[in-house]
Amino acid sequence: MTAIVRYDELVRDDRIHASLYTDPQIFADEMERIFHRGWVFVGHASEIPRPGDFVTRPLGTQPAILVRGADGAVSVLLNRCRHRGTMVCAAERGTTKTFACPYHGWTYDLSGALLGVPYPGGYDASFDKSTRGLAHAPRVATYRGFVFASLSADGITLEEHLGKATKLIDRSCDLSPEGEIELTAGWVKHRCAANWKMLPENDSDGYHLGFVHRALFKTVRSQYQTVVGDERTIKAVVRDWGGGHIEIDWSPGYQGAFEWFGGAPKSLVADYVVRMEQRYGTARAQQLLFEGPAHALIFPNLFLGETNIAIVQPVSVDECVHWHTPIFWKGVPEFNSRLLRQSEAGMGPASFLMPEDLAIAARNHAGLQARHVEWLELSRGLNRETMDAEGRLVSHVTDETINRALWKHYRAVMAGA
Amino acid sequence: MNLDGPWPSNVVPTDDRQAVTDFLHKEARLADEARYAEWLALWTDDAVYWVPATTDPAADPEKHLSHIYDNRGRLETRVKMLQSGFRYSQEPASPMRRLISSIEIAAGAGGEFVAESNFLLAELSIQAKHEMHWWVGRTTHRLRRVAGELRMCTKKVVLVNAAEPLPNLTFLI
Repeated sequence: MTAIVRYDELVRDDRIHASLYTDPQIFADEMERIFHRGWVFVGHASEIPRPGDFVTRPLGTQPAILVRGADGAVSVLLNRCRHRGTMVCAAERGTTKTFACPYHGWTYDLSGALLGVPYPGGYDASFDKSTRGLAHAPRVATYRGFVFASLSADGITLEEHLGKATKLIDRSCDLSPEGEIELTAGWVKHRCAANWKMLPENDSDGYHLGFVHRALFKTVRSQYQTVVGDERTIKAVVRDWGGGHIEIDWSPGYQGAFEWFGGAPKSLVADYVVRMEQRYGTARAQQLLFEGPAHALIFPNLFLGETNIAIVQPVSVDECVHWHTPIFWKGVPEFNSRLLRQSEAGMGPASFLMPEDLAIAARNHAGLQARHVEWLELSRGLNRETMDAEGRLVSHVTDETINRALWKHYRAVMAGA
Repeated sequence: MNLDGPWPSNVVPTDDRQAVTDFLHKEARLADEARYAEWLALWTDDAVYWVPATTDPAADPEKHLSHIYDNRGRLETRVKMLQSGFRYSQEPASPMRRLISSIEIAAGAGGEFVAESNFLLAELSIQAKHEMHWWVGRTTHRLRRVAGELRMCTKKVVLVNAAEPLPNLTFLI
């Protein structure tokens, strides 16, 4: 018998309880209520362009297969034979016509339907193949190629889950003059010895940059330089989009277009700018090129990391994995080389940013074992955050407005169960 | 530049073999001991330091994401960060030792040498949890003489677990 955790007690408006990062019971509740019942990001349609293409992905802590069927429809199948539970697919990606279990040869089609079992003489007429297909996520929905799944047959729609935050996804996709992104560079996976929630919190933390990333700022100039100066001169902001979706917007601190790209030589972008203006009109194109892609978390596991897409994978209460891949904007292959190099500079175990984040996350997780102190502070910016015309809380980029937004939604999901 | 190339076109004289082997051992020792400036001095200006994110031999750094794909400028940034005292993922630096084995050396184009070797590296990650991390892989060095001294122009490190979730890899692999 497991204890009932009182999430409304553990998540307060200005502080959170340390057990939220360290209690295995809470981790189990999170997998059930957030990752299995709610909507989670699984992969992008561009990863499986043709019928039979698949990638294997965790859905929370459950092994799953994201696959494009013979009819072109995308399914999320649980990677578990209905006979004895064996994973039917060991490859990380590939193209196939069927999934055949290596244990006793049960074979399924791309929609998960059971095609046949060897030696059928051992089953009588009551053996119904139609009830023994691979289990699949009952709800799968896509927004601009981003595939989300829920293991619950009912609940809010993806549209309701994303709410206004579709605009954040739009901001990243619209930088393609064809309106589409392609995630074809492969993923790098970075292991972190900390609770999974430290990744979305840190990805959205504008307070730590000048400290955690001091080695980089001391060494080279980057587009983040403007956010590590005097507190009063920093113009970047954080925004709460509702539903646990949270954003850092650097663009109020930018001086011109393409700062998010580290600048842009005319030879590289002249043709691109023309095509952007043709598609979106001059004003919208100029806005897109000035603001750049989103820096935002789509609750709970999709991070729009400017020129990267990242996935937060929980492993256990003490461990998680940060996946990332560069965005390739369809129709602009001339950017890809630079996007690859920027991605390697920013994210991944050997990069110039994330290793510090994950080293600090591990120290954070180790420090939280000092349970004589029970609470973590979450009050920064309560004195100055404001509501904008679109009903979003906005504050100084270093404020914990978006941590509070994340935890408020977390409390609603976890306590509402 | 092919280890499996036809004899005798890729045979390397004994003196050169010894010099290349000595270089590999020295390069490993400088990396293990976090002697950053001396390690950086082993590189040519056209340096390529490549750690693919896959074991697939068809990996193409212009199409696929890598863990590391440094040119000289980025390599210098990498070293400066390690020297800054604020590279927290290597602050303090992990004690480490590596074994190099199965060295094969071939003659490359233009007087260059290509050396392939296997390595086993024990890294004690002491930044938070004091865990031993074991790194295993195959390295390809491309070396040439600059003003009489051997220097490396390419170092490609293919980790056995390149495509798996990796902990921080900010020391010199």
